[in-house]
Amino acid sequence: MHHANHFYGHAHVLARYAGLGDGHPPRINGYVQHGWNIGDGLAPGHPYAERTPSLLWSEQTRRRAWSVGRRNVTVIGAPFVYLLAMQAAEEPQPPREGTIWYPFHGWEGQHVKGDHKELISRIRDTEPGPVTVCLYWHEHRMRRVRRLYENAGFRVICHGYRGHWWKDTDPRFLDNQLVELRRHRRVASNRLTSAIFYGIAAGCEPAVYGDPMVLADEDPTFGGTARIRRQWPQLHGEQVHLPTAVDIAHAELGTEHRHPPAALRELLGWAYPQEETT
Amino acid sequence: MTTETTSAVTLPGGEMLTWSDRVEAADDGPLAALAAHLVPAGARVLLAGPHSPALLDALAHARLTCLLRGYPDAAAVAGRVDRVLVAGPYGLPAGEEYDVVIAGAGLDAVESVEGERLGWGGLLARLVAAVRPGGDLLLRLDNPLGVHRLVAAGSWYAGRNDADWTVGGVLDAGRPGSLEQVRQRLDDAGMLPGTCYAGYPRPDLTTALLTVDELARRTTSGLFDAVLHTACTAGYTGQFVLADPARLAVDALHAGRAAELAPSWLVLARRPTGPGHDPEPADTGDAAHRLRRVDRSDNPPPGSEGADRLPVAFVADAVGGTVVEVRDGPQGWHWHPSGITVPCTSPDAVHSGSESAHRDPAAAEGPVPDGRLLRSLLLDGCLRRDTALLRRLLRGYADWLDGQAEQGLVAGAAAVARADNLVVDGDRWAVLDRGWTADTPLTVDVVLARTLRHFAADLLTGGYAHPWTSTLDVAGLTVVLGGVAGRDFDRAVVEAATQPEVTATPSPTDPPPGPRSYQQLREAWLRQQEENTRLAALLKWTEDLLTSRERALRRAEAKINLLSGSLSYKVGRLAITPARMAKRGARAAKRRARAAIATKQGGQQ
Repeated sequence: MHHANHFYGHAHVLARYAGLGDGHPPRINGYVQHGWNIGDGLAPGHPYAERTPSLLWSEQTRRRAWSVGRRNVTVIGAPFVYLLAMQAAEEPQPPREGTIWYPFHGWEGQHVKGDHKELISRIRDTEPGPVTVCLYWHEHRMRRVRRLYENAGFRVICHGYRGHWWKDTDPRFLDNQLVELRRHRRVASNRLTSAIFYGIAAGCEPAVYGDPMVLADEDPTFGGTARIRRQWPQLHGEQVHLPTAVDIAHAELGTEHRHPPAALRELLGWAYPQEETT
Repeated sequence: MTTETTSAVTLPGGEMLTWSDRVEAADDGPLAALAAHLVPAGARVLLAGPHSPALLDALAHARLTCLLRGYPDAAAVAGRVDRVLVAGPYGLPAGEEYDVVIAGAGLDAVESVEGERLGWGGLLARLVAAVRPGGDLLLRLDNPLGVHRLVAAGSWYAGRNDADWTVGGVLDAGRPGSLEQVRQRLDDAGMLPGTCYAGYPRPDLTTALLTVDELARRTTSGLFDAVLHTACTAGYTGQFVLADPARLAVDALHAGRAAELAPSWLVLARRPTGPGHDPEPADTGDAAHRLRRVDRSDNPPPGSEGADRLPVAFVADAVGGTVVEVRDGPQGWHWHPSGITVPCTSPDAVHSGSESAHRDPAAAEGPVPDGRLLRSLLLDGCLRRDTALLRRLLRGYADWLDGQAEQGLVAGAAAVARADNLVVDGDRWAVLDRGWTADTPLTVDVVLARTLRHFAADLLTGGYAHPWTSTLDVAGLTVVLGGVAGRDFDRAVVEAATQPEVTATPSPTDPPPGPRSYQQLREAWLRQQEENTRLAALLKWTEDLLTSRERALRRAEAKINLLSGSLSYKVGRLAITPARMAKRGARAAKRRARAAIATKQGGQQ
């Protein structure tokens, strides 16, 4: 299995949904898109075997991937959609309050350039209720950054470690995120990211504002933040038209593309699992 | 009517003593059904050229004269018809007129090798002269650009068969090459062209006759789609062709060109009554010989109006051997049994669910449901990757099956109708041909799994693009399609549901059954090549990953060894050694005690 399939516990969520239990998930015969992106759904720089299936979130991403030379691309929807299906908000939830705010993060090999203080000031001016700031794990470990947000009176959390090379993956990463999202009325970030779409799908009102910050060595292949703002202007701003946002989120997460467990097992190559999963 | 005694076989000259144009009974069942509509009881009929026994049977109520060039063929029909003329076209007595003249094998088969050649125009004029005023001519013409020609593996102009003593083709300006041209030629010959049928799937085998007007008008008709698909698949099974004729025919239908690409046409023309309409004895195509245009107000085209109106289609059932008609009525189209039966065209042809289905004669009559064929809708959804459309269709189908079920079981035609026999019109679903019915009722999941598996095999072996991964086999894709239909059944359900009727499961890299099409064989080879490329890339990636993991393991082992040699490890090991020894000793004592107890108990027994 490609190690990226384990990021954020995606393979674990899919295995649980497919009825294979909570154990170590079997190998996926393909690459699961591990975050919302504006390219071919796969992370640049990762080695991939040619023509191994790409299991993507949305139809739009599938078309884009095909147009840039990817083949054997199919849409299964985001793992978060499968998690939502398993944890439908049926039982009474605590009342939603405040905003969960995701300052844009890079990954381990990248560093964000930007002014956290200015961002904090903007958040204070904008958000009507209490604010929870969710930092990416390596920023959460940076005491200096964490303190900045804590001193601003924000609650600071981290959903967990996404894992790397099969190590230290938090299989409950998405579960933790869903629990937090369902506690808040709004979800916001300085960039349109997976978390905003997850938040909308989990019932939050979205907002995207503030300095988008820049990543050191950001890959400009697919147009970067400028293109994101051009293509999805409806999702940017302190207030966003919710029905439009919900429609876009469902399309980008591929909510309609969720397969039932038996079909998912076939698509992931799990019809005959090779490994024990418990 | 036929006579009890042997009918007269006359040889007026120009006969071919050893030549035979023998036509198989199954070859023109639809023509026989059409002829039965045209010929009233007691009518004088000339059958010019070879015709099948089915046609002779269908016209048993008429006075038949056969004009045949081959003596063996004449000997075969002698006794079944009133008169047999074994001759070329010159053998037809001058001045003799018939109520109906049928040239169901075309004009070429009327010409003999003996005597002077008349050519297509001369032959037409000869037959037109034999039609009485007010009588009908039913003429077949092969299409030089029909589906059969477009998929032919061999060229039409090489002409190596015995019948190719001359090769008639489109280069001969005296021969019409299109429907428009043949109508013009009939018009020029003083005839009034009327209803015209497109004949599929081959010039030498017509299992479907469809009116050209309706073919052009009803381009999304599920009936025409199914008929063309079935006729062209069965009609070319086992033959080597360049491309799938069924795909081409159905594509032509959707483009409004199925009539233009028909392998042959049957044109009905009437010789007008009234003064000034007698044709010249010979029409060489020279404009000077053309007659005045027919007054259409006095002479409506034959077969197109009122009680005279002919059926929309005649279709031979490849399995049951019966010919059914589709008639147009106030309530729309409806099925009607023609009463014509012909031997099976393909003894191997079996209904997709034949082992658990039977033909229901009572269901042969009834309305033809409107709508598009589910198979084509699904293929379109797959090609355009319109998963929303596929979801709507397959969920609609599953819900419709639920609605058909009583206590969870589906019976009758709905239980055995596959995607090539189901039509969808908005939210309305119906079985197109209700003639096949299930022997025993089946659960909804079994019916759904069978239909989806049938379609999955069609999709994969046909080489169609689709939205899912190439790693799925037929059973896997069936499960995924079941998921699209909103049902969560796994491959065990699929395999159990299709067990009785499926003998061999095709691989996605196999070509489809039916015609051996170069294009599809090549596509199957390309799929195999792609699969090999994918597996080779995966193997290399796996090897690289294994190398990297082995390196990581070596590093971990080195670290363990390093730590094993450290002072802290050694001190720790010394500290726990007495505990480990004590544990080992306790285990040994426990074992000994158990053995002693077991021995003592054994001795007491």
